[in-house]
Parts: sequence; structure tokens; C-alpha cells
Amino acid sequence: MPSRWAKSPFPKGRYYFSGNEAAAEGAIAAGCRFYSGYPITPSSELMERMAVRLRKVGGIFIQMEDEIASICAVLGASWAGAKAMTATSGPGFSLMQEGIGYAAFTETPCVIVDVQRAGPCTGQATKVGSGDILQARYGSHGDYQVIALSPWSSQEMYDLTLRAFNLSEQYRVPVMVMADEAVGHLRETIEVAPRIEVWDRKKEKGAAPFDIEGQDSVPPMPSFGEGERLSVTGSTHDGYGFRKTDDPEIQARLVGRINRKILDHKRSIIETESHFMEEAEIAVIAYGFTARTGLFVVNRLRKEGKNVGMLRLKTLWPFPDEAVAEAGRKVKKIMVPEMNLGQVAGEVKKYVPCDVISLSQTNGEVIGPEKILETLKKI
Amino acid sequence: MARALAKYIRPGVKDTPFCPGCGHGILMGLILRAIDDLKMDMKRMLFVSGIGCAAWIPSPHYNGDTLHTLHGRALAFATGAKLFNPDLCVMVVSGDGDLSSIGGNHLIHAARRNIDLKVICANNMIYGMTGGQVASTTPRGSKTSTTGEGNPYHPFDLCKLVEGAGATYVARFSVTQPVSLIQSIKKMLLHKGFSFIEVLSPCPTQFGRRNRLDRPDEMVKDLIRRCILEEEAEGLTEEQRAEKIITGEFLS
Amino acid sequence: MIGIMQVRLSGFGGQGVVLAGLLLGQAGVFDGKYISGSNSYGAQARGSGCKSEVVFSDSPVDFPHLTTADILIAMSQGAYDIYCTDVREESGLILYDQAVVTPREGLTVKHIDLPVTEVSVRRLKSKQAANIVYLGALIESTRIVTTGSIRKAITMHVGERFRSLNLKALRAGMDLGRKVHG
Ligand SMILES: Cc1ncc(C[n+]2csc(CCOP(=O)(O)OP(=O)(O)O)c2C)c(N)n1
Ligand code: SF4
Ligand SMILES: [Mg+2]
Repeated sequence: MPSRWAKSPFPKGRYYFSGNEAAAEGAIAAGCRFYSGYPITPSSELMERMAVRLRKVGGIFIQMEDEIASICAVLGASWAGAKAMTATSGPGFSLMQEGIGYAAFTETPCVIVDVQRAGPCTGQATKVGSGDILQARYGSHGDYQVIALSPWSSQEMYDLTLRAFNLSEQYRVPVMVMADEAVGHLRETIEVAPRIEVWDRKKEKGAAPFDIEGQDSVPPMPSFGEGERLSVTGSTHDGYGFRKTDDPEIQARLVGRINRKILDHKRSIIETESHFMEEAEIAVIAYGFTARTGLFVVNRLRKEGKNVGMLRLKTLWPFPDEAVAEAGRKVKKIMVPEMNLGQVAGEVKKYVPCDVISLSQTNGEVIGPEKILETLKKI
Repeated sequence: MARALAKYIRPGVKDTPFCPGCGHGILMGLILRAIDDLKMDMKRMLFVSGIGCAAWIPSPHYNGDTLHTLHGRALAFATGAKLFNPDLCVMVVSGDGDLSSIGGNHLIHAARRNIDLKVICANNMIYGMTGGQVASTTPRGSKTSTTGEGNPYHPFDLCKLVEGAGATYVARFSVTQPVSLIQSIKKMLLHKGFSFIEVLSPCPTQFGRRNRLDRPDEMVKDLIRRCILEEEAEGLTEEQRAEKIITGEFLS
Repeated sequence: MIGIMQVRLSGFGGQGVVLAGLLLGQAGVFDGKYISGSNSYGAQARGSGCKSEVVFSDSPVDFPHLTTADILIAMSQGAYDIYCTDVREESGLILYDQAVVTPREGLTVKHIDLPVTEVSVRRLKSKQAANIVYLGALIESTRIVTTGSIRKAITMHVGERFRSLNLKALRAGMDLGRKVHG
């Protein structure tokens, strides 16, 4: 019984939500019943909506003393049985990294929405950026995997936050929705389906919650208070949660498994979208809000008869290596526009033989159509 | 006695991880005595701890749910678990460094919220696990591996700190006062709201040997001599009082 | 209305530009349009260039930010000066009030002068509702959204305390729109 169909908490129909509000609604639809957070621009509207919505659906909301406490309370609630989340932006995301590593190593489902702003440091709090992409992957110490999704509209703030919960429950892994200020504040028509697919964590009485003998898959996860007498630890542990801080085999096996359980399933996790990639000679590879600009320009150039296509990355981690490699085989050049100094461009280069041109903009503004058009015309 | 408590120990646990003479081992048994006296249902008990020697008191030894978290963050994890499942009896057992230095902000905020968490702070006045560095609880003048000339700063009075922040049950006892301490833990288990017991627990390995209390029994004797009840402190001079540790229930 | 229509509402912080944009977009959604709305945020929203932009489309919106305005509502001279040159030539439209804005000469964009300030003060006894008077005039002269939808949007997003004032302001604005048209 891996997934079930549930009635949407909203009547079917069209709504006018900002991205931040839509993410909150997607979370509620997925069954999120715990939120802890700390205010930070430009993500606060998400928290404010959760405060109102969770009270209505009988969930728990708490504003904690900082982002460290926020992520830790989420993890405590998750082990108590909750689908739980927090949202933040750059500075708070930095503070959460140790907790994210804990979630990855203890295989605790949780969702973090990062509404990225212009960094580094306090940067420009109300301005847009997407400088946290590599941090999402590598922000905590040690070798681990996460899942990171990249919404480009209010609709996807709803859809991908919902999906983030499903993936998190399915794989017992922290899932991040790497939004940005532009998408978080964009208010758009969104459509709510009457029925939605919902995943819940797998349970099995008496089974080892941290390993499956001889397999690289996801073990079942009981909750506190169910009589399972759980032992959860962020130290290296065996299948039943006993600390094993000296055993090289257990260390290697556990680190290996928490990585493989994601990488082995990357084909069902990764989502990309191709536009006009047949006979394309140049490809734009984009994600988040910038992909909206990218597709707008590609559409225009196609009408002028130019052989341009676009690959949109809806999933950033695990990285869509196969889709990118395939694009790289088809085209002569790839352009990656992004609101950072080439974080995804660097990743793309690992998988393609052709030229990769990084179009960076870190001025706190979205990348406009003119800029992409200009760069494409030069190529 | 040991036999009667065996059912509270997780099957598969063989021995305690503590140094000989460590107060944490004593505290580990005393908490279970209180739980046994009250016939608490271990299936409903969640023990949360941070990182440090003290954090190993419950994890993985106690046969309920145990959650061994990050350094300093036990109270934040516990807050999430307790809020989502109020039927759990959530007890936090961790060290002085964990709860009051790196986790100090969570401590005062958890006390302020007065959420029903039962917090036992095993105070050895030092960072035991990492090699005896100075803590926010180290007495002025004490030698540690980072204060060779003696700690120049004042320590926290943890009980006053959490009382000021809003805790609703506050006490301090030493592992050398087992009867009073068990009584106090029982009261804490029955109390609704944020409750806090500071338990003085000797660390012969890191504290004792640097402060002329080389043998474990010397540390125990020192605590027995110094820990007095508030009533007993009456009539003492400032100077006499300064070297004592006042124990008892401060708020109940 | 066919294809895409881009509306920019502008003024200084506190004039209700953001609320007016929200109501307009919400009404568009009620009418079955695809809408993308964005507005000034943080410190910008308090300054003189406060704006709210609404893109209307019959199909899902590709680029969600405004590229060239088809319609500009300029509620202050400062906002007019910043945005008046970014309106589509020939077919574009600027709504303003001569009492607060002196239009620039030589622009090939149709200007409609609406005595919004006077109407707000005289008929509504409140300058606070000028944003909604503009909305009423805009809707009457362009039919960009239906009357039913904008009324529904006001009921949804405006608190009870100000709802009747806003509905009155809407009517006053529609009367104005009819006059300039007729
Ligand atoms: C973020 C972080 N910083 C530092 C450490 C290293 N560390 C582990 S235990 C500890 C001190 C524990 O002291 P205390 O809580 O008093 O426990 P004790 O060992 O004295 O019982 C420190 C600093 C860590 N694990 N995590
Ligand atoms: S180092 Fe100190 S606190 Fe840690 S086990 Fe040894 S005696 Fe106990
Ligand atoms: Mg200590």
C-alpha cells in the first residue's frame, strides 16, 4: 500500500495564490500537520498561512526561537508521526544545515522550502537570487543525498511542495523546495485537482527501522509511542539504532545505503521538461523563475525560425544527469542562465561534451528576456 | 535492586559507557528508580538527549523510545515531539554544556513556553566528552583544559536561570543525595509543565584530576560535604556559603 | 479581449496600489482568465514607485512579469514620471487625475483624465478609496473584468469594516468611466 488517493482539502477549482501561499496549501493537501519556523523575508507569508491553516485542520504550528530550533522541532515531530515542514531563506537555511544532515543520516522525512533571496550573508533581503543550489546539496558535512525541486510558478509551488512530502515519505529523506523570491511572491491562477495522490511512510511492526538486510532500499519507519521502543541517533548506527561508532563496516554500509537509496531511484525522482529540443542546435537549460524567462525567449526565437530548444530542470538534486547528457549530445551549445555565478552550469559541464555558456546575474533582479535574447543571439 | 530495574533496560545493552566513578552512571539508575516507583509505562516514554557523556544516560540504554539528537538541540526536538503527540511523557536528559551553553537559547525558550517537558541536566561543571574544557557551569577559579590558570568567569546558576525564564518546577540535587533526588524526579514526572532538575554529577576523569580531587571517591566526598539544603545554609557567613552548593526544591 | 493584456497600477506607498492589483487579478481569475500578478515588495512598496502589475491571458501565462504595459494607472506624479514611457504606443492607455498628475507632452498614448480625487472626497468622503475608484473607471471603460467578478473579489479580500466603502467607490468609479466614455 504505497500511495493512496485522497480528497483535496480544497474544492476543485481555480484560485489566485501567491507562490508562498500555494506552497502552504500544497503542504496541507499532502497531509502536513506540523510546522515550526522562524520569520525571514521573503518566506514569511508561507509561515503566516500555515499558522492559520494548521489551526483549522487540527495540526500544530509553532514559531521557534531560531531556525536551528525550527528544523529540530520538525524532526522531533516527524518521529512522533507527523508530516512536518519548515520554510526559510538563505541565512536561516545556513543555520538549518546541521539538522538537515541529521535528517539525512537518521532517514527522517521532512520538507524545507527555501525561498531564496540575494546573498551572500544578509545580502538584499527583499531581492531575488538562487545562490543556495549547491548549499542544498552539500550544506551539511559528510556524504549524503537530498532531493531538491525547483518550482517556476505558483502552480508548481503547490504541486512540488505536495510532491516534496510524497518523496520525503517514500524515501525517508529531507526534500527541499528551492523556490526563489520571484516565485514566492508571484500571484497566479492555480488549479486544484479534486483528488490527489498521497504517500505515507511505510510501517512494519518489529522490523528494523534503519536497515533492510542485504538491500539498499528504504526501511519502514515506526513512530514514537507505538510501543516499538525506538532508538534514534545521529551517530552511526545499526539496523535497530544501536550506536556503532567504531565499526568500519557498519559506517561504510550506512553511508553507502543512504546515498544509494536515492541514486538507485533517481529515474523515478527526477523530472525534467523538454521544449523544442528536436532539431535544436542551441539549448537553454534553466530552472526556477529563470526558466519562465528562458522559455519565453525560446518561444520567440522559434517563431523567427531559430533552432533553439530548452530543457527545464524541475528536479535539481539528484541532478538530472541523463537528461542533460542527452541534451548535450543533440546540440552544439548549451546556455545556462541563473541567478548565481554558475552553480548549475558547473554541474551541466560534468555531463556534456559541448560548450556550456553560463549566463550569470547576481544583482538581485530576475533575468529579463532581453538579457537571454542578447546572449543567445551572440552565440 | 539491579534485577528489579532490568526491565527498564533495552535488551542488547550490556554495560554502561561511563568511566569508573562517573556520576552519570549513578544518575542513570536513580531516574529508573523513580520511574519504577511510579510504575510509568515505558512504551509511552520518550527520552531525548543531546550530545555528550550525559546524553548517553538514556540513549540507547532505556527501554522506551530514545532520541539521541544534536549537540544542544535536545529541547527543540523534544518540543516538536511533545507538541505533536501530547500523550508521550517526554523526558530530556543531557549535560550542562549541551543544555546550557550551546543549547542555552533553547533552554530559556522551552522554560518560557512551559510545555510539559521533564528536563534533567547532569551537571559535571565541565565538557566531559571532549576532554575537559571549560563550561558555562564551571566554577570560577576551576582548572580545565582551556583554563589552565583557573576559570576567570562566573558560572550560570541554572536553577535561577530557568526559574526566571518561566519553568514551573525547579530543583537541584546531587547524585550523593539519592533519596531526595528520586523524590524530586517523581514529583517532576507528576508535574505538568516545564520542569527542571539540575543534578550535580562528578566527572573524576576530566574535572577531578585537574582540581586536586584525583580519586573518584574524593569527588563524591567533596560533593557530600558541599551540598547542603537551604535551611542548613542559614546562619553561614558569606565565605562559608560561597563554597557550598545549595540544593533542594526551589519551585514546585 | 484577446491574447495578453498587461496592466500596471502605480502610485506611492499607502495609496492601496497593491490591494487594487490583487482585486483586479482575483476578478480575472473569477472570469476564467490566467493571471500572473506581482507587486513592489518591502521598502519599495513604501516608496514613490509603488506598483502592482497584472498580466491577463486566455491561456497559461508564459513570462509572468509585465514587459510593456497596455494600461497604466498613475496615481501620483512620481509614478507617472517613472512609468509613462513604458506604455504600448498607439493602443496603450493611461488613466490619471489632472488634480495630481501633469501629463507629459508628446506621448502617443491615449490619456484619460479622471477626477478621482474630487469624487473620492465629495462622494465618498475618503481619499483612501481612490484606488477602487480607479478600478471602477478602468473596468467600465475597458471591460477587462466583469462587474460581478470584481464585486466578488472585493467581498473576498476586503475586511467587513471597509467593504461597503469599497463597493461604493467601485460604483463611483464606474460612473466616472461611463461619463468619460459617453
Ligand atoms: C555542534 C557541535 N559542536 C561541538 C561538538 C563537540 N562536543 C561533543 S560533546 C561536547 C560537550 C558535552 O558537554 P556536556 O553536555 O556537559 O556533557 P558531558 O560530556 O560533560 O556529560 C562537545 C563540545 C559537537 N558534537 N557538536
Ligand atoms: S569523562 Fe567524565 S562525564 Fe564522561 S564518562 Fe568519564 S567521568 Fe563521566
Ligand atoms: Mg558536562
